[in-house]
Amino acid sequence: MRLGVRIWALACALYLTSSCLVADEVNFRRDVLPVLSGTCYACHGPDEETREAGLRLDVREAAIEAGAIAPGDSNNSELIARLFSDDEDLRMPPAKSGVTLTDQQKQAFKKWIESGAVYQKHWAFEKPVRPEIPKLENSSAANPVDQFIAARLNERAMQPSVEADRYTLIRRVYLDLIGLPPTPEQADAFVNDTSANAYEKVVDELLASPSYGEHWARSWLDLARYADTNGYEKDRERTIWPYRDWVIKSLNDDMPFDKFTIEQLAGDLLPEPTQDQLIATGFHRNTMLNEEGGIDPLEFRYFAMVDRVATTGAVWLGMTTGCAQCHTHKYDPITHTDYYQLFGLLNNAEELELDVTPASLKQRRNEIDIQVQAKILDLEFQYPAFQGDGPEQERSWAAFQTAFSNWKDKVAGSLNTWTTAKPQTATSNLPYLEVEQDGTVFASGDFTKRDVYTLTFNLSEYQQPITGLRLEALPDERLPQRGPGRTFYEGRAGQFFLSEFTTTVDGQKVAFDPGNSMAVSLSDGNGSSGVQPAGDEIGHRIQYVIPLAQPLQPTGTLTIEMLFERHFVAALGKFRISVTSDEKLRSPVRLTEEVETAFRQPEGTRSEDEETTIRNYFLLTAPELAEARKPVDKLRNSKPAPVRTLIFRTRAKENPRQTHRHHRGEYLSPRELVTPGIPEIFATSTEKPPHDRLAFAQWLVCEDNPLVARVAVNRAWAKFFGQGFVTTLEDFGTQSEPPSHPELLDWLACEFMTPTTDGFKPWSMKSLHRLIVTSAAYRRSSVVTAQEQADDPSNRWLSRGPSYRLSAEVLRDQMLASSGLLTQKMYGRSVFPPQPGSVTDVAYGGFRWNASTGEDRYRRSLYTFSKRTTPFAAFTVFDGPTGENCTVKRDRSNTPLQALTLLNDEMYLEMARHAATTCKTDQPVDSTMTTLFRRFLIRPPGPEEVSTLVAYFQTQRSRIEAGEINPHEVTGNKDATADLAAWTLVARVIMNLDEAVMKP
Amino acid sequence: MFDHIHPLLACTRRQLFQDCGIGLGKIALTSLMTGGLQNMITSQTHAHEPASSGYLLPNGGKAKRVIYLFMAGAPSQLDLFDYKPELTRHEGKPLPKSVTEGQRLAFIQPDAAVLGPRFEFAKHGQSGAEISSALPHLSKVADDIAFIKTVHTDHFNHAPAQLFVNTGNGVPGRPSMGSWVTYGIGSEATDLPGFVVLTSGATLSGGTAMWGSGLLPSSFQGVPFRNSGDPILNVTTPKGMDQKSQRDALDAIKSLNQQRLSRQGDPETATRIAAYEMAYRMQTRVPELMDTGGVTKETLDLYGAEPGNAKKAFANNCLLAKRLAERGVRFIQVYHSDWDHHSDVAGGLKNQCGTTDQPCAALLTDLKRSGMLDDTLVIWGGEFGRTPMVESSVVLGRSQGRDHHPQAYTMWMAGGGIKPGITVGKTDDLGFKPVEDPVHVHDLQATVLHCLGIDHAKLSSRSGGLNVRLTGVEEHHVVEKLLA
Repeated sequence: MRLGVRIWALACALYLTSSCLVADEVNFRRDVLPVLSGTCYACHGPDEETREAGLRLDVREAAIEAGAIAPGDSNNSELIARLFSDDEDLRMPPAKSGVTLTDQQKQAFKKWIESGAVYQKHWAFEKPVRPEIPKLENSSAANPVDQFIAARLNERAMQPSVEADRYTLIRRVYLDLIGLPPTPEQADAFVNDTSANAYEKVVDELLASPSYGEHWARSWLDLARYADTNGYEKDRERTIWPYRDWVIKSLNDDMPFDKFTIEQLAGDLLPEPTQDQLIATGFHRNTMLNEEGGIDPLEFRYFAMVDRVATTGAVWLGMTTGCAQCHTHKYDPITHTDYYQLFGLLNNAEELELDVTPASLKQRRNEIDIQVQAKILDLEFQYPAFQGDGPEQERSWAAFQTAFSNWKDKVAGSLNTWTTAKPQTATSNLPYLEVEQDGTVFASGDFTKRDVYTLTFNLSEYQQPITGLRLEALPDERLPQRGPGRTFYEGRAGQFFLSEFTTTVDGQKVAFDPGNSMAVSLSDGNGSSGVQPAGDEIGHRIQYVIPLAQPLQPTGTLTIEMLFERHFVAALGKFRISVTSDEKLRSPVRLTEEVETAFRQPEGTRSEDEETTIRNYFLLTAPELAEARKPVDKLRNSKPAPVRTLIFRTRAKENPRQTHRHHRGEYLSPRELVTPGIPEIFATSTEKPPHDRLAFAQWLVCEDNPLVARVAVNRAWAKFFGQGFVTTLEDFGTQSEPPSHPELLDWLACEFMTPTTDGFKPWSMKSLHRLIVTSAAYRRSSVVTAQEQADDPSNRWLSRGPSYRLSAEVLRDQMLASSGLLTQKMYGRSVFPPQPGSVTDVAYGGFRWNASTGEDRYRRSLYTFSKRTTPFAAFTVFDGPTGENCTVKRDRSNTPLQALTLLNDEMYLEMARHAATTCKTDQPVDSTMTTLFRRFLIRPPGPEEVSTLVAYFQTQRSRIEAGEINPHEVTGNKDATADLAAWTLVARVIMNLDEAVMKP
Repeated sequence: MFDHIHPLLACTRRQLFQDCGIGLGKIALTSLMTGGLQNMITSQTHAHEPASSGYLLPNGGKAKRVIYLFMAGAPSQLDLFDYKPELTRHEGKPLPKSVTEGQRLAFIQPDAAVLGPRFEFAKHGQSGAEISSALPHLSKVADDIAFIKTVHTDHFNHAPAQLFVNTGNGVPGRPSMGSWVTYGIGSEATDLPGFVVLTSGATLSGGTAMWGSGLLPSSFQGVPFRNSGDPILNVTTPKGMDQKSQRDALDAIKSLNQQRLSRQGDPETATRIAAYEMAYRMQTRVPELMDTGGVTKETLDLYGAEPGNAKKAFANNCLLAKRLAERGVRFIQVYHSDWDHHSDVAGGLKNQCGTTDQPCAALLTDLKRSGMLDDTLVIWGGEFGRTPMVESSVVLGRSQGRDHHPQAYTMWMAGGGIKPGITVGKTDDLGFKPVEDPVHVHDLQATVLHCLGIDHAKLSSRSGGLNVRLTGVEEHHVVEKLLA
């Protein structure tokens, strides 16, 4: 019973902050654990490699056994003796650590041991328990959030500010929920709405707006390190915007956060996954891809995996896993092995593309195919006619018949009789080779810059001596650009490079016909010579025929070794080997498999379809028809490209990827194998610890995970208030600052998982956002007195409303909306708003930023093409992310370069010009000024503001009239009046005001 | 950058506000208001305070600023500085397996044949530094230079290796050297950025992350001077407006912002007022900087510079670097690319040295005669070296080139705190590996910080549970032999 009371007391004390430290109470979590973990664990903690004197202090039993701690008896605790020692050689922490403990800290240790040295888990590693809502007599707050906040303000004898005025409030909530400002009309409607729930009505409208998903998607994309390019040197474009669109849709649909999580981490493992669930796995395909020539592709895959683990840790666990990549975490309970077990959970996926061409686009493609078919038939009459008399069409037809017939003869004559040779075994250095039923071989898994395939065949299966071999490189939907090769970076996607093709029979080399130059280059021992598909062969079947120097007798085992060696991955993805016993070998004519099959039917026995196939192939390839085919080609080229997005797919059961622990985190130092799993500290408090990616995702968002709900609500809170209860949004570990409002954090976390509030749906982000913005704390005025500023400069105790600089994207979107230029178009390929050409001059490989025209020029900022190595300059300058890492929290700087951007950037000038065109010149200047002011700042201006702006307007107009300012250049309009130019200048001034760039 | 507060100052001020979670931005404001600090403060976030304030060396540093001539693509040390006659003797033969074992190669195979030095070498100056005939101008200032022949790095591909040298990490996202330096000791420039980036040649593999601020406040990122349009993006007032109209606009903005400040009381507004004023000063300072009308013909000829001529971009940038240094800019990165000589290393070097040799030597001469070399640290080098083995490839059409070589390459340093006229480190007879005084890239970075009066082991910022440092988590050392 006494023990129970003590634990209860400790649990309560945990939530007290330093300002209300009760003199004689010691709180392990608050007073001891941070010092213990931050100062002592580096040498006396979980990491065996750095442990000194064999002593660990992170496990109570071990500390007691070692004599460091004698519970209840500080005099007999070596730990205390060492902490208080006057002898520099004995004192802990040692002088070289540079850490000195305060007397208060040392006393806390003493008291803690005296009181029994009870260890507890760090608060964030214990499941949140729903705290009682504080009952405050003098508070009428309806929203529980405010009760918690009021309790904390009361403790500090702080007074909350009054509610913000309605114009401030509506601009704030619009910018926060949808990232766009209200129109002055919308603002007036709210201001004049006297109903009791006027504000709640606005909130509900905003939550239902499609703009909500666009706004909140941007924050999620920061976490997902979304970008439209691959990163690193070449930084080429990738298509993964379907993932971005999935995020927008899911947020607008208010997909519960648990489902939202599971689909992104393991959508492919759900039963019969939908296309959307597969697209969602793009979350972890947003890692960078190094396409530089000469890299080790597996090394950069390893780096991408490290990024996936770090990102998962930051986004769902609020844990900094990064240090455990190299060694056991120094103070948080993640061992080196834990790290690689976590790594293993995410490691067993193939990185594939998924065709997600929208139905409308597919239909368009079909229509074009049909039109092409029709046009092909016409080609028969457009063959260059024979010279002579008679109607040209007839001569043309005759010429076609002759050429077609000759071609058919040629092709027929080029066909040898081939028998598919099905390998007995197919092995490689690393890729996984699967021999399919029909004898084709499909390669999957991991590839290197130098892959070797080894195939064996039982020659006694063949009756006749073998005179030649054929290698068919085959296309397949599963390959990059349909293959046949496995190249996925640096070289052209779908390419391969066959350096050597070596055959032996029972160890004896089989020589090729020395007269065949291709066969020679494939057996010259030089890895840098060989064969590769021509550009237009990518995605098609290619045949290579290798004549043997001597017929091969059908006995023994034939071994074929294929070497693929380039400065990038260049192995074949799908192929088939065949043999022939024909006496004469002919060079193959390039044909599709379908056409060749048709040809293999003797003439006269072919079906009508087969004949059509052959004829169409001729019409589409005959060089003589090149000119006539131009309209057909044009039509074919107009076919919109299919849309393919990047996804995860779990690997074949037969070929799981194994995860090793890596010494010092180095790619080149793999050590023992690890079993996928979650860190032990979590595994011990869940019934079924996960061992695969789906189970892991499910565990992340189950109530057994003490962190996820806290981390998610803390992040949401920070979006509205500028900072979280825990200020390190990505780190809830033992070294993080304690939360400002621990009870509120836990209450919100519990509410998020198992709601009690009316209308709050489990894991609903919209419900959470609604709860936050309807709090009184959110609605307070942000006016600050000098005293308040001194007492609580960062508004940690939430006595004031949140006001801070808008993000780069919201800033631009707001200006676009206010100036009247914003377009509503949603989704699709990213766009290119204008920026100075010099920005991308430094981009690799002559990348050009061709500014979009029309509506794409003015779309919301989250649709802006995100190029990692040269991000959009107007975003970078306002702390926008590059997409190279998971960004949990953006900086909010305030710099002269931002001033230069808003003042001088053509993009913003364009907005000022457009806003000016809405200014009415037939009305009093004051009134027009008020209208323009309100477009951007929403509230009506004060008289002093109007007079300042009008004075500026008048001065500028006189200077324009005096020819000192060029109105045509200012407006970009040769017909511009002095008024229009002056209004442009005024709009520019308003757009540069502090108020315009700040959430009010 | 130009607009930040010295973290030390922030630290001392922070004592006053302990437990308040005060950010740099707010403290800086106090300084601004009292006029005590010229530099302006910018960051509003709270998590970016130095983990330790004791990173300043007690005796300070000899260098006040850095000009880093980064030769992107990796110049061949074997044809410029590290003379290995043994390679000529072995030419055409492969290296023994025992030598090449463990070497990670980008393009060639380990059994590629040896390629001898492509230029004549001679000893120069009193120090007797061995330099190839491809660098006639540098040879004349050899006695001002310290050569390091044993620099080695962890990466063998351009993008990661360039990032490694610039940010201490092979993956983008860590603060660059210039960010660390300006974060650590601020800048003397009040109307120019404290960390400037100049570029010439083709584009850079490492991308803009090479001058990013990583986890430090974004205001510490390098500011690129553009080669077309405005030198600093948007530093020019839009067409049609003159300076007076810009001043009028700023006055109106200031007046309205002051009205807001008095209503709202948010110090952020005051910071913004100051930011706009500094923007205005930059708008006048930058044209003055770029106007080389006052530069004598003798000086232009010394560099081989022709302002406005894109073909002389590197020479122009060296001259500009000197002018930036004169104006108090702390860290000047001069990138020049096109050193990636996988084929025809001799021809490639001839071109590159033709472009860069004279300006590099001129920069040292010019700094020296203006008395600035003593406190300006000049660094020259690439991201790795090139192989003693030849690169040739049928499919790529390459011959007589050299592949990437991370195990040993040459860099040089001069000025601020560096001992002149010395060579540090020695490689084996084949130029393959260091045999004396290996210098890891992190050691080199530690040395740069040391010259600026910063203890590399202590200048850190907390992120992701790590105290992140330029020189990483492993132990690394200042190269004492290099110090004057």
